[in-house]
Amino acid sequence: MRTETAPEAPAVPPAAEPRPPARALPVWANPRLGLLIVIAVLVVLFSSLTPAFLDPRLTLAPLQADISVYVVVGLAQLAVLSLGHMNMAVGRMAALSTFAMGLAYDRLGVPLLVGLLVGLAVGAGIGALAGLLIAKTGVNSFVVTLALDFGLLGLVTILYTWATGGVSFAVQPSGLSALRFDTFADYCMGEVCGPRIPLVVPIAVVAALGVGLLFRHARLGREILMTGSNTVAAELSGIPTHRRVVAAHALSGLLAALAGFLLAANNGAFSATIGESFLLPSFLAPVLGGTLLAGGAVSVLGTALGATLTQVIYKGLNLLQFSLEELKLYIGLVLLAALSLDRLRAVLAERRAVSPS
Amino acid sequence: MRSVIRTNEFTLAVIAALGFAALAVATDFNLLTAGTLDAFLRFLALPIVIGLAQMVVLAVGQMNLSVGVLTGFCAVTSGWLMIDAGLPAPVAVLAALALGAVVGLVNGLLVIFTRINGFIVTLATMTILEGLRYGVNGTGTYQGYSPGLREFGQASLAGVPVVFLLAVAIAVAVALFFRRTVPGRHLLASGGNPFAARLSGISNDRALVLAHTLSGLLAGFAAVIVVAAFGSVNASIGDDLLLPSFAAPIIGGVALAGGMVSVTGTVLAAFLVRLVDVSQSQFDINRRWVDLIIGAVVLGAVLLGQFRDKLSGGPR
Repeated sequence: MRTETAPEAPAVPPAAEPRPPARALPVWANPRLGLLIVIAVLVVLFSSLTPAFLDPRLTLAPLQADISVYVVVGLAQLAVLSLGHMNMAVGRMAALSTFAMGLAYDRLGVPLLVGLLVGLAVGAGIGALAGLLIAKTGVNSFVVTLALDFGLLGLVTILYTWATGGVSFAVQPSGLSALRFDTFADYCMGEVCGPRIPLVVPIAVVAALGVGLLFRHARLGREILMTGSNTVAAELSGIPTHRRVVAAHALSGLLAALAGFLLAANNGAFSATIGESFLLPSFLAPVLGGTLLAGGAVSVLGTALGATLTQVIYKGLNLLQFSLEELKLYIGLVLLAALSLDRLRAVLAERRAVSPS
Repeated sequence: MRSVIRTNEFTLAVIAALGFAALAVATDFNLLTAGTLDAFLRFLALPIVIGLAQMVVLAVGQMNLSVGVLTGFCAVTSGWLMIDAGLPAPVAVLAALALGAVVGLVNGLLVIFTRINGFIVTLATMTILEGLRYGVNGTGTYQGYSPGLREFGQASLAGVPVVFLLAVAIAVAVALFFRRTVPGRHLLASGGNPFAARLSGISNDRALVLAHTLSGLLAGFAAVIVVAAFGSVNASIGDDLLLPSFAAPIIGGVALAGGMVSVTGTVLAAFLVRLVDVSQSQFDINRRWVDLIIGAVVLGAVLLGQFRDKLSGGPR
C-alpha cells in the first residue's frame, strides 16, 4: 500500500542500526495533529462562508467561553476514563454543585470565590461517593453512575423547588457579570489593554494544566493510570487501588462542578438546567482527542482540541442558520468519521512501525 | 425448590406482587378497576420491549445508546409514510421494523469494521438519529393516521390490552431465541468468553452484528407499539427511553459484562418501574421523586445481587 520505503538498506543487520523503538508511531499518526488540521480547515471554511465567524465580540469571545466550559466537561469525563470507568452522572453532578453554589450566594451572601469552593467541595464529595460505591461493591461504574444520575435528576429538581420555588436562583453574586461579559480588553493598564479573551478562559486553562500535570508528573495521577491499565498489577505493586478509584471519581465530580460554575457564569444564572447538555460532549472531547475507553492512558491536550473542534462546528453551523437538530446530525457524522480515520491511521502506523522495510 | 427461591427472578416476582397488592390496597382497589388496569398494562408494553432491545446487546457485552432515539425515528418515519406518503398501515409497520433492523445492522457493522467500542459507536449513531428524527417532520405531530392501527392500539382481548400481549409474545420469542436456537446460544457464548467462543468455532463478529440487528429490530417493534397505542407521533418520542432501557435489564439481573440474559427479570423489572410510575400519578407525587426512587431501586438491585452472589458463593 505504502510505496516509499524506510531509509535502511535491507542488507544491514537491524541490530546494528540505531533506530527508534519499534512501537513508536510516526508523527502523522498523532491524532492531536489531525485534530489541529481539521480545526484549522473548518475555521478557514466557516470564515469564508460567513464573515461573521471572525467577529471578535459577537462570535469569537462567546466561542472561547463555550470552549472553556466544554474543555472542563471533557476533563471531568477524562478523569474517570483514565481508570477505564465512565461517569454517566457528569451533568447532574454539575447541576447539584451549582445548586449548592446558588444556595450559598442566595442564603449566605458569600463572595464569588467562597461559593465556588463550596460547589467544588459538593462536586468532589458526590464524585467520591460514586467512587466509593464502585470501589467497595465492585459494581460496574456505568451502572452506579447511571443510577446516581437518575437519583440526582430527581433530587436537583426537588431541591430547586424547595429553595427557590422555581428552577433558578435570582441571586447575582458580585463579579459574576464580569465573568460573563468582560474580556481582558476591558482591563487596561494605561494605553495597553489585554487581548479580547473572556475572563473564564484562564480558569479552564488552569484546570487543563492542573489535570495534565497530575497525570504526567504527580504520583497520584500515575497511580490512577496504573490502576486503570491493570488493576491487579497495580494492587500487587502496593498501590491502594480502591483509594485511587475514589480519588479519580472525586476529581471527576470536582471538574464537573467547575464546568457547572463556568456555564452558570456564561448564562448568568444558577439554574436546574445546567448540566443537561454535558453528557455527549463529555465523551466527545476525550474520545476525539485519542483517549481510549479502556483506561490507562489519557490525553489532556487532545481533550482540549476535541472540545474546540465540536464547539467550532456548533458555532459555525449555527451561524450558517442550521437548526440544533441538524447540528446533531453533523456532529454525529464528524464523530464517526474522525474515529474511523483514527482507527485507519492507527492500523497503518502499526503496520509501518512493525515492519519498517 | 431452594434454587428457585434463591434466583433473582423469584425475588423480583415477590417484590412485584407485594408492590402491586400494596398499591391496590392503598388506592382503595382503584388499581383493579378495568380502566386503570387496562392503562397500567397498555403502557407497560413499551418499557418491556425497549428493555429487551437493550438486553440483547448486553448479552454480547455491548451497549446500544441509540435504542430510544431509534424508536422515535422509526415511529416518526412510519407516521410520515402513512400521512405524507399515503401508504397503508401494514406497509408503514413493516417499514418501521425494517428500518430499525437496518439501523441496528449498521451499528453492528460499524462496531466490527472500525473496532471502536460499541458505546461510542452508538453514541455517534444516536446523535445522527436525533438529527434524522427531527428531519422527518420538524416539530410537527402526525396524528389521525390509519384508524385500524389506532384501534389495534386500543383493543383488548379478554380484558387484556393487545399491545401488552404483543410485548409478552415478543418477550417469549426472545427467551426462546436465547434458550433454544443455535444463534442465540452463540450470542451468549460469545458474550461470556469471546476467546473460548472463537476456539469453539463461533464468529464473534457475526454475534456482534446479530445482537445489534436484533436490538434495532426490537426498537422497531417498540416504535410500532408507540404508533398504535399513543395515537400520535412527533420528534420528541424516545428522548425519555434511554435510561429505562438500561434500568429494566440491570434491575432484572442482566450482567453488563455479557454472557447471560434474563428475559423474565427484565419483564418483571419493567413492571416494577411501571408500578412506581403509576403510584406517582395515583398519589399526585412530584414527577421527580419517581426518578429519585428508580435511581435508588437500580442501585439497590445491583447491590442486592452482589450481596447475594457473595452469600451463595461463601457457605456452599
